[in-house]
Amino acid sequence: MNKLCLNKLSDQKVLPRFPQEVLASWLVGFLCAATLLIVGCSRQVDRPPFVAIDYEISPQPTRVGPATVTLKLSDAAGRPLTGAHIAIETDMSHPGMSPGFAEAKESEAGGYKAPLEFQMAGDWVILLHVTLPDGKKLDRQIEVRGVRPGVPSN
Amino acid sequence: MSPSSIPVAETSHSLPFDLMRVPGLGHLFRWRYARPLLQTPLLILSLVMIVHGLFGPTLAPKNLATTLSWLHFRGVLVLVLLCAGNFFCLACPFMLVRQAARRFFQPRFNWPRALRNKWLSVGLFVLILFTYELFDLWSSPWWTACLIVAYFLSVLAVDGFFKHASFCKFVCPIGQFNFVASTLSPFEVKVREQDVCTRCHTKDCIRGRREPVSDLVTIRGCELALFLPSKVGNMDCTFCLDCVHACPHDNIGILSRLPAIELMVDPIRSGIGYFSRRKDLAALAIVFTFGALLNAFGMVSPVYAVETWLGRVLHVNHEAPVLGLIFTFFLIVEPILLLGLAAWLSRVWARSPRALLPLAVRYTYGLVPLGFGMWLAHYCFHFLTGLYTLIPVTQNAIASLGRPFLGEPRWSLTGLPANVVQVVEIGFLVLGFAGSLLVTYSLAEDDFPDRPLRAFLPWAAVCLILWCASLWLMFQPMEMRATLMSG
Repeated sequence: MNKLCLNKLSDQKVLPRFPQEVLASWLVGFLCAATLLIVGCSRQVDRPPFVAIDYEISPQPTRVGPATVTLKLSDAAGRPLTGAHIAIETDMSHPGMSPGFAEAKESEAGGYKAPLEFQMAGDWVILLHVTLPDGKKLDRQIEVRGVRPGVPSN
Repeated sequence: MSPSSIPVAETSHSLPFDLMRVPGLGHLFRWRYARPLLQTPLLILSLVMIVHGLFGPTLAPKNLATTLSWLHFRGVLVLVLLCAGNFFCLACPFMLVRQAARRFFQPRFNWPRALRNKWLSVGLFVLILFTYELFDLWSSPWWTACLIVAYFLSVLAVDGFFKHASFCKFVCPIGQFNFVASTLSPFEVKVREQDVCTRCHTKDCIRGRREPVSDLVTIRGCELALFLPSKVGNMDCTFCLDCVHACPHDNIGILSRLPAIELMVDPIRSGIGYFSRRKDLAALAIVFTFGALLNAFGMVSPVYAVETWLGRVLHVNHEAPVLGLIFTFFLIVEPILLLGLAAWLSRVWARSPRALLPLAVRYTYGLVPLGFGMWLAHYCFHFLTGLYTLIPVTQNAIASLGRPFLGEPRWSLTGLPANVVQVVEIGFLVLGFAGSLLVTYSLAEDDFPDRPLRAFLPWAAVCLILWCASLWLMFQPMEMRATLMSG
């Protein structure tokens, strides 16, 4: 019975077969070029205006099921920001999960409310896409850690 | 007899189905540049994942690195292993880069004798599972990209210094996963007719095909030290097809076979030896099987209760020691208890002359189908429920470059409903359980032809316990946190 070990293999000096090495070198070069391109050609974005966003999620502790996020927007002087449009997206921290979407409605001056749905226990991220009355846009991210499994209703 | 006088193998009705005989596919695989052709798209994909992971969105569901790695790659990998064979290793992008590097740096050393086993790769496999949980790799595009980069660097470092395919055979944790899982694949790279090999004097499949004058190898032989005539099964086979290209008699095919058949027998295997004498391989099978349950356990609600309880009892706030304890229990204590008890019982009941450890090593391979069933169920859950997420993530990545020619991201695209996927999951678990019972019974029948049941029952009980644990895990509410110890 033949039993071959690595050390018994003769050294295999392989002749160049195909420009796959050259191809790989080109690909590495492509990566470097692409990286430079992406980093170098990023668009200059206007600095977003200062907006303070306070939030509250109810009920607490957060559990699987429906919830409500309450947002309070104010400017640098602490004045409520009215007339903003807030699109909300909820994502899990794991890829592949279905995101949720909602629109926040202004319930009082500078105060907005939106219904949410946590479909699974775990860590969630709430993305706020805010469009201010003057058309300026800003994005914020709220991390909601440790959403607990839902309690069965009686 | 000169090699040219040996007749080329012909198709016989008694031969199993041969992928190399499929028109088109056979031509592709026989083409010497088939491997680079398959590797190139995966290399490009890897590079895209690295760039997007490092510079793209930090949110995992919106990043190609995390979406492709933890949903699509893992899902496709296990399905291809189940339905065909170790074709990922064939198309491995790391090996393409290695080949390029070897153009500049020829390795000079042989892999150290003390490390010519699976212990290092078993350790790295555990380390990958551990870091996956500790650093929540699935939730971090940056860490995922770093892992891919680290993989490329490791390949270059190991195969830059050491000859042959040292990285694949002795280091690569993904490769070890593929090797173990491919023992259940329906295809195997195998000689078509042993007679042809018996009459062959050149042994090009292992030595490589050489130029007559310079003795330089023009086509490589097997770099993993698998001599095809005495190769049994898929263990350590990367499906690189070097042997196919090197064989001057076209006597190597990708042949169909009964999945798991190689686990039911224990002949001496080229480049491996006897399965029953390889404690390192048995350890790999244990990590593969119990790691499957542990990996799924890390994603369900009870793990947080266990971690919180352990943290409170031990007065520890950091996750690493608590996770270390859980890993020690699941990958060392539990297997020792279960397998030790089963080995002892089967030894006593069947009056086996074998010592306890060799008996446990021999039957450990019987658990591999169960483990694979669990990996399939787990990975396919993520893959199928997030199947279409690749579309909006790609749309988003392209849109972020300023040219949304694929349209605006359709984030509502996700995948198959969870209740449909759950049926598939249960199917995989049942298949794995049946496979494990079949393999362990076959081993028992081989060892004790007059009283196989006595040797089989303790192992069947172990299979049943693990299967029930798998089912229980599948029905637990999922809870995917990036912060385990926060309460």
